[in-house]
Amino acid sequence: MFEKILFATTGSPGCDSAARVAFDMARQYGSKLTLFHVLGIPGKGDSNVVIDIRSGEEVDVDAEYIEGVAEELRTTYAKQLEGLSGVELEVAVGVPSREVLRIARAKDVDMIVLCGPAEGQEAGFYKRGVVGDTLRKVAKAARCPVLTVSRPSASFWGGFSNIVFATDFSKASESAFQFAKTVAQAVDGELHLFNCVDLSRFQSAIALTQDGIEAKLAEARRRLHHEYALQLGDFKRFTSEVWEGTPYVEIVKFARERQADLIVLAHHARDVDPDERPFGSTLEQVIVRASCPVVSVNRPDKLPQAAEA
Amino acid sequence: MPEGIFCNKRPINTEEELKALLSDTRGTKYYEEMLSLEVDREKLWATIQKTCKSRTQTWLDVCARCGLCADSCFLYLVNDCKPEQVPSYKIQSTLGEMVRRKGDVDNEFMRHAMEVAWSQCTCCNRCAMYCPHGIDMGVMMGYTRGLLYSQGFVPWELKIGAGMHRVYRAQMDVTTEDWVETCVWMEEEQQDDWPGLEIPVDKEDADIMYTCNAREPKHYPEDLAEAAILFHIAGENWTVPSEGWEQTSLSMFAGDWEACKLQVENVYAAIDRLKPKRVIGTECGHAHRATVIEGPYWAGRPDGQPPAPYIHYVQWVAEALRTGKLKIDPAKRIKQTVTYQDSCNYIRNWGLAETAREILSYLVEPGYLVEMTPNKEHNYCCGGGGGFNGIGKFRPQRNKALLTKRDQILATGAKLVIAPCHNCWDAIRDLEEEYHIHIDWSFLKPLLIKMVIVPDHLKPQEEAGDEE
Amino acid sequence: MYAFLTGPMLWLSFAICILGCAWRAYKYVKGLSWQLDRVAYGHYPDLAFKGAMKSIFHWLIPFASCSWRAKPVFATAFFLLHIGLVVVPLFLFGHVMIVAERFGLSWPTMPAGLADVLTILAVLAGVFILLRRFALSEVRIITTRHDLMIMAISLAPLVTGFVAAHQSGDGNGWLLAHIITGEIWLIAVPFTKLSHAVLFFCSRAQIGIDFGVKRGGQRGSGIVW
Repeated sequence: MFEKILFATTGSPGCDSAARVAFDMARQYGSKLTLFHVLGIPGKGDSNVVIDIRSGEEVDVDAEYIEGVAEELRTTYAKQLEGLSGVELEVAVGVPSREVLRIARAKDVDMIVLCGPAEGQEAGFYKRGVVGDTLRKVAKAARCPVLTVSRPSASFWGGFSNIVFATDFSKASESAFQFAKTVAQAVDGELHLFNCVDLSRFQSAIALTQDGIEAKLAEARRRLHHEYALQLGDFKRFTSEVWEGTPYVEIVKFARERQADLIVLAHHARDVDPDERPFGSTLEQVIVRASCPVVSVNRPDKLPQAAEA
Repeated sequence: MPEGIFCNKRPINTEEELKALLSDTRGTKYYEEMLSLEVDREKLWATIQKTCKSRTQTWLDVCARCGLCADSCFLYLVNDCKPEQVPSYKIQSTLGEMVRRKGDVDNEFMRHAMEVAWSQCTCCNRCAMYCPHGIDMGVMMGYTRGLLYSQGFVPWELKIGAGMHRVYRAQMDVTTEDWVETCVWMEEEQQDDWPGLEIPVDKEDADIMYTCNAREPKHYPEDLAEAAILFHIAGENWTVPSEGWEQTSLSMFAGDWEACKLQVENVYAAIDRLKPKRVIGTECGHAHRATVIEGPYWAGRPDGQPPAPYIHYVQWVAEALRTGKLKIDPAKRIKQTVTYQDSCNYIRNWGLAETAREILSYLVEPGYLVEMTPNKEHNYCCGGGGGFNGIGKFRPQRNKALLTKRDQILATGAKLVIAPCHNCWDAIRDLEEEYHIHIDWSFLKPLLIKMVIVPDHLKPQEEAGDEE
Repeated sequence: MYAFLTGPMLWLSFAICILGCAWRAYKYVKGLSWQLDRVAYGHYPDLAFKGAMKSIFHWLIPFASCSWRAKPVFATAFFLLHIGLVVVPLFLFGHVMIVAERFGLSWPTMPAGLADVLTILAVLAGVFILLRRFALSEVRIITTRHDLMIMAISLAPLVTGFVAAHQSGDGNGWLLAHIITGEIWLIAVPFTKLSHAVLFFCSRAQIGIDFGVKRGGQRGSGIVW
């Protein structure tokens, strides 16, 4: 189902949960896995010195350092690497989001696995927090699905079987839906179609009357049915649900209720200008809070093929 | 040992040599070898005789030793007014001595001169404005760097930088393929948000040919995407060359005049090939200096002009705002205290002070712009110019130098510094990291994209399902 | 002796001074290289002329440049010294008289009292500049013997001339000293840093052209000195 998986890791304990999912997936689906680490951010003018992502220290990227880091990664993941053949290890210097996108493009991968930010964690040493920034930019620009695991509890993993698809009815959501559908069919799991009517977006008093809200809910239900449920054809193991509130809260609550092991959603196009709302987008909030892996799908380019599952 | 394996008088001309030198972490061996690098006195003196003409000779001779240059030099001021930092002293004790001794100088002298040339002068040319005789110590220090480079006394990073230009015609190892691939990548990445956006490569007879800084494709390709977005919004007919897109010149910082010529000729060849109406460079000061101000002379063009009109990015922005090609949403104008970093290379040395202010009048809500003191032509260097930013060996000196700009910024109370110059941008970022004064800094492009009014026909088609 | 000094020697001194200065100016201009200096000197005559004039003007007029304004005390001393050295001798009654006697040429002179005051101020300014050389570390470090010698050569005719004009009785000794130091001064001009008498104009014009045609003179208001 996922031929080539790119796992972007810092090798730190914060990435353990994501690592577990990435390696499990590679094992389960026979994927070719690439371990990718960005050594550091180019800094200090035109010098060759880079700032190490983990320590924030200045380091010289020479052959010795690169070998040291690679060795460290091999040690960190020694157990997971056992018995997995063809795992590639790649390192690069650059801005993490940029380098992840670059290698994903170069290797034409089907899935990027990222370490999520831990809840309440400081954005990092760097001005514009490396982790949150990476997540935001990669999720927005990647051609392929981006899977993120944030909380350790999110990685207890035995394959996908209970999938929540959260939509805002955007165009990108259509790709996310195709992804969710294919995975659900391939694993013969359950699919939960979900929409949250975003109350915070309504400014007018009319829209916020209970009648207004209920009209919206009815409309959303109708759309869930027409735009998604009808596409499922023979696949009958699905439910459909519309709640109202703040989307990320409701999505997380819904996923918990359904005991989801995968949340699929699109990087909400509405949440533009991340600089204005650092760490405020629905996707990021869901990632931070969800107790299962979250996949962001924006584009139809690299959707898994059901036939190959 | 007259010449070292890494440290020698030979410029880097092949990828192998470049990689070998790069492998010498922080130039440890390189600087060790420099301790015993011999000075070719005859060659040095012959070079001086051939190239030290009446202007430089007169500057050295008539210096009245009045010391008026002292206070003009931010490095003198920031280094507790150490007399050794007086510009006149810096040049007289290096180039002056070299000339007076007819090139009969030793290794120790040359190493000292190297330290002065690259860590005590950023070639900002401010002193030239304060000397009664009009002596430009920055220009002379540039010349001194050339002499030092020809003898192998050059900081490790700049030997590499000059080598990069010789090997890749770019300051970093970005090949033509890498570059073109980056253009395709960025075009693709912007397709969803900007339908129809193109980054046309090698289009002939375009109105604009755009050139940039290799750091952009290498590490910050979104800068290229932003340039494309703004040209797209402005409706410009533009292109980038597949060869000759790199506008910077670390070889200028290094004093490698031959490499400077090679580099700039590469850009001019692209102009000749694509025949654009004019060329626009990115938000970089030294790139502009190298390709537009000094470049024509390296390339031997007697009119001192590039083959086509070549303007700095701020000129295009000012023009686009003036003519309404780009319109700023008044509601989105900057409403926090903001200041502007004047880049020595295109402000003092190319006269764009007023052009920059014109842009600010569109971007910043009246009353929120607080100018640094001094500013415009009289501004101080960011602290990292002339290659200073990149030299590991002189990092402590550079960090000290940043204090000038830090204090200037603090005095304005600004929380945002607009710095349309890569070197200034880097220096300000570094000073924030070094001294944590809680400021933000930005090129013009991202600010413009946030504020510009996007014409309806350029917006992505409204997605079904948007509920308002 | 006196006849020789005021006759052939004076002629010779003036000749050396004038021809030497002309030679220096000629050498300077001839040694300019558009490519090495990276200034298109001849290509934009209008901009070049404007740039050169602007550059000279702002520095010739007291306090017309930022640098002069930034250092008002030094600038005052500087201008007093140069007025004493250049303007006073040209308009001194005694000097004009000599020219009138020999060539029949004459021009207005300045009152003796004013000349005295300006001379005293020039000497004081010179002394101040000398003291400044030692007092300020940033000037001390670049000071050479040559600079001290230049100041001595320049002040000597002023001091001797002032004394010669004011002592009563036989002033021959002082007058002689004044003539000798004056001639030394004239001869020294082309061969020492005093050559800035012409090279100042050359150098200022050059940097003016540099900024005028290359570094911004084509845009905006050009360089602000």
